[in-house]
Amino acid sequence: MAKSAGRSKRSDRRKKEQLVAYLCMAPSIVGLIFLTYIPLLVVFIISFFSWKGISEPHFNGIKNYIRLFTVDAYFVDSIKVTIIFTLLSVLGSMVYSLIVAMLLNRKIPARGFFRAVFYLPYVLPAAAVYIGWSWLYETNFGLFNYILKSFGINNVMFLSDSTMVLPSLALIAVWLSGNLIVIFLAGLQNVPAVYHEAAQIDGANGWQRFVNITVPSMSPIIFYNLLMSLITNMQVVTPALSLTSGGPGNSTTFITYLMYRYAFKDNQIGYACAISFVFFIIIAIFTSIVFATSGTWVFYEEGDKK
Amino acid sequence: MTQNKKRNEKIMNIISLILVVLMAAGAMLPIWWIFRSSLMTNAELYAWPPKFFPSRWLFSNYVETLKSYPFSLYLANTAKIIIPAVLGGTVTATLAGYAFSRLRFKGKKLLFTLCVGSMLLPNMVTLIPLYLMWTRILHLGGTFLPLILPYFCGGGAFNIFLIRQFISTIPRELDEAATIDGASYMQILIKILVPAIRPAMIVVAMFLFITLWNDLLQQTIYIDDPNKYTIAIGLSMFRGGLKADWAKIMCATCMAFTPGVIIYLIGQRYFVEGIVMTGMKN
Repeated sequence: MAKSAGRSKRSDRRKKEQLVAYLCMAPSIVGLIFLTYIPLLVVFIISFFSWKGISEPHFNGIKNYIRLFTVDAYFVDSIKVTIIFTLLSVLGSMVYSLIVAMLLNRKIPARGFFRAVFYLPYVLPAAAVYIGWSWLYETNFGLFNYILKSFGINNVMFLSDSTMVLPSLALIAVWLSGNLIVIFLAGLQNVPAVYHEAAQIDGANGWQRFVNITVPSMSPIIFYNLLMSLITNMQVVTPALSLTSGGPGNSTTFITYLMYRYAFKDNQIGYACAISFVFFIIIAIFTSIVFATSGTWVFYEEGDKK
Repeated sequence: MTQNKKRNEKIMNIISLILVVLMAAGAMLPIWWIFRSSLMTNAELYAWPPKFFPSRWLFSNYVETLKSYPFSLYLANTAKIIIPAVLGGTVTATLAGYAFSRLRFKGKKLLFTLCVGSMLLPNMVTLIPLYLMWTRILHLGGTFLPLILPYFCGGGAFNIFLIRQFISTIPRELDEAATIDGASYMQILIKILVPAIRPAMIVVAMFLFITLWNDLLQQTIYIDDPNKYTIAIGLSMFRGGLKADWAKIMCATCMAFTPGVIIYLIGQRYFVEGIVMTGMKN
């Protein structure tokens, strides 16, 4: 009797626990259903319609996709532009932030201050950063051309030359990557010093130690930073919105910006959804490449592997 | 031998310090140049050789700029979006993080997988259907609600995981002791866990702040009334209208920088800690 009362009490508690859990999860469940997965499904469905926004949508099969890959030169260009920008800014930010983190990891004074300095750009609003930098890049009176001029180099049109604009914007993205530095630094501080000492005794030089000790023991963090940096940079749209309007020519018409233009300027909603969906696939491909190769170069400490 | 090594080490540290100072100066140069330009006359901006310091610090440029750039309006609008969204996001992420780390319920695994999946699903992809939902179905176009309400729905998988990780580092014995004392699940969360995970909640709030702060695209598509412009839209429009009055554009840019810098300086300690945590634990 007492036993069964205890059991029903326990099952009461279980029920209560479930109820509380669902209440706690409710906002997130709403978000996952209505703001994430249903919209993804809706993008996919609308992408098979021709829909000008005001008129009735009508089904036109895979015509949107055919137009994307055969007729629309903008689209193929936008993929190129996005990939070039992503490669430049991801590689640039990874190298820059790893170097800064390694320097900050040595015994130097005022480390916290320097860390704050490198991190600061990350907290500035992106639109303001791009507008501020557009003055530094100004062709006749900008800071960068002043510097080049003092080395006797002629004016460079950083933002109005279609071959210069992507590297110029990528440099801003590198400058903004302070969060990667902080994460790298934390990782470096976790590399056991004994490894380095042992290698030093064996006569390994700095570069050998970097390749054989630092990189392998940092690999989970490099992986994490690479993935985050990739996803962030592929979604780039702010420089085009606040500064270049996709130009000069179409040299900064990123996929996201093209999608924005079709959907919100030209009211071609069905077509813009097709772009969204292809964009989704492209990001999925890139992230799965990173995941697929990670097995060969990401090492977890024993017991750390999940 | 060891003395030699020690000397080498010392030399390396000095070289590192010099490099760090140079790189830090390089990283700060753009900000200084923008600030210094905001205090000059346009004539001085175009002079060769360029001056590193303004000859006179024209803070009056800011007064001039404010006449055509209603910064306080933009700031107030931005706050009207950011404050409720940050609060909503932090609270709902904490609730979900608590459920994931401490409570047992049916469908937990499935929900967890869906959350992880949503991390890899870029926001850009769902932009159009969400726009249609907010404007065509819910008729909230032109208000701030489409920018705020999503943050009341969990505050993003990334932040939920951050809270979850943090809660799981707190000993369960604390919960159990409180349960024996008759505390309910919500009392455990509010009285025991929340005080313990406060740093993580501050970090989540700051991440949300930065996300909202940077999100020019969504602000652009939902706001078209100039009286509702945020700092990001206001600044882009201001620059578009002025083109060459660089001193004023730089004033407006510096004003847009300040809220972020102030919040960063206040919460710097937590912020750096939090980023470190996300990098280590995910």
